[in-house]
Amino acid sequence: MGLVEIATGKVLSSFSVFLFLTILLMVVARRISTSVLLFSVQSAIIAAEVFATGFRERLAEAYVVGALVLVIKVVFIPRAFFRLVDRLKTPRDVKASTTPTQSVFIAAALIYLSYAAVHSYGQSVHVPEDALAASVALILTGAFLMVSRNKALMQMLGLLVLENGIFLAALTTTFGMPLVIEIGVFFDVLMGLLLMGIFTFRIRDTFDHLDVSKLRRLRG
Amino acid sequence: MKIAINVLQALILIMGAPLVRGIIGRLKAWIQRRQGASIWRPYADLAKLLRKEDLVPPSASWVFRCAPIVLLGATIAVAAFVPVVQSSALLASRGDFFLLVYLLALGRFFLSLGAFDGGSAFGGMGASREALVSTLAEAPFLLGLVAVAILAAHADIAGMVTWTLQQNFFNISAVHILAFTSLAMVVLAETGRMPVDNPTTHLELTMIHEGMALEYSGPSLALIEWASAVKLHAMLALLIALFGPWGMASSVSVGAIGVALLLYCAKVALLMVLLAVIESGMAKLRMYLVPDFLGVASAVSALAVIFTMLVKR
Repeated sequence: MGLVEIATGKVLSSFSVFLFLTILLMVVARRISTSVLLFSVQSAIIAAEVFATGFRERLAEAYVVGALVLVIKVVFIPRAFFRLVDRLKTPRDVKASTTPTQSVFIAAALIYLSYAAVHSYGQSVHVPEDALAASVALILTGAFLMVSRNKALMQMLGLLVLENGIFLAALTTTFGMPLVIEIGVFFDVLMGLLLMGIFTFRIRDTFDHLDVSKLRRLRG
Repeated sequence: MKIAINVLQALILIMGAPLVRGIIGRLKAWIQRRQGASIWRPYADLAKLLRKEDLVPPSASWVFRCAPIVLLGATIAVAAFVPVVQSSALLASRGDFFLLVYLLALGRFFLSLGAFDGGSAFGGMGASREALVSTLAEAPFLLGLVAVAILAAHADIAGMVTWTLQQNFFNISAVHILAFTSLAMVVLAETGRMPVDNPTTHLELTMIHEGMALEYSGPSLALIEWASAVKLHAMLALLIALFGPWGMASSVSVGAIGVALLLYCAKVALLMVLLAVIESGMAKLRMYLVPDFLGVASAVSALAVIFTMLVKR
């Protein structure tokens, strides 16, 4: 039992560092498949965080939520992405409009910004500052991925990263939301994924590519 | 006694270096399902080269001849700064990590000069590329070391190691992870390993380190090969000392030193397996992508330094 408690403490205290690492790797990733794998790893870290919170706060519901994260975000969504990439037969690069070096410096700046942003809030309310900063950084990076990648698929991924950030923020500030809300959120994500998947197919069929920077004119 | 151990660990780094190379080669062969050469072959190579005649291009000056000697001298001096089995080193002094970085740069500078002096097109190309890579690798290398130094509040490598030894392994901080990431990338670039340079080729137009060594032969080539092996071993030992020194001997006794030595071998073995996997699983980056690779390392190390202010320990 002692071992589990130590593991829980470690997950809660140092997981945010690994989240920062996944953020940095994600903005430099040159292939869609790498980004998707990193998203899966990122979700796994968040699932570990959910389990750890559940264990410490003695919440049975948290285990259900953690299992949902594990099934949906770690396994199902990445698999759906890989199938989508397969079916779309699109080149595998992400079409970044910033170079990897620029992206990683921007991501580093975003991480610093998120620390600065949560600093005063974290002191007035008793929440772990690292975790809150990680969630803000995830939200900002998700938005950054959406605006700086020209592939439609990467904008879906950016949105999912952003959603991960919001999920983490909710988790760290409320120590677990009611199960019904969580299930609703997951349903939303899945629906969003489905719709965006259909849209990418439509974009591909109409324009023969997935480059959103070229979507300037209307086509019938 | 302590000095004797310090000499011993410098000798381990210098004499064991060809073995490290041999084992990495064997591991790579094993991963690629080849038979592979004996792990002792680098020693045999060195012995063979040392017995051979030293051919010097007719246009070369004294710089060409003295470059391998300066390179090996600088690299051996670097090896004397790195703790292996106890948290002190032969030449340990305040601020020695700056000296370590620039001793490596000195050796590289002379090798580049020698390559230019040799007069072959490949030598000049390799040297100019090496200059680019080392310029870009210098910032993350220094920043990564500085981040650890700030965290440990010690300005020497031995002090950082002593401080790390007192910490709990599970109490890793953001700084350590970020600094380790950037330094590991720098080590790959500095020692000319796979994503940046292919250490096993003489055929590609993309070679960096091998291009510089192309005009050398006989004893000079042996010195260069040995120096690059020592450099690789010393860099691996530096990573171990800064980020995983647990198990180092705290007292001067045969038992403690023996245990520390065994643990050191295990850690180096782990890093060698990692290197072999990376080298077998990754393709070499195009030359134009190397600045991106090192730019990422720079950003990560800059973040590590920034995090030293945010992380309260």
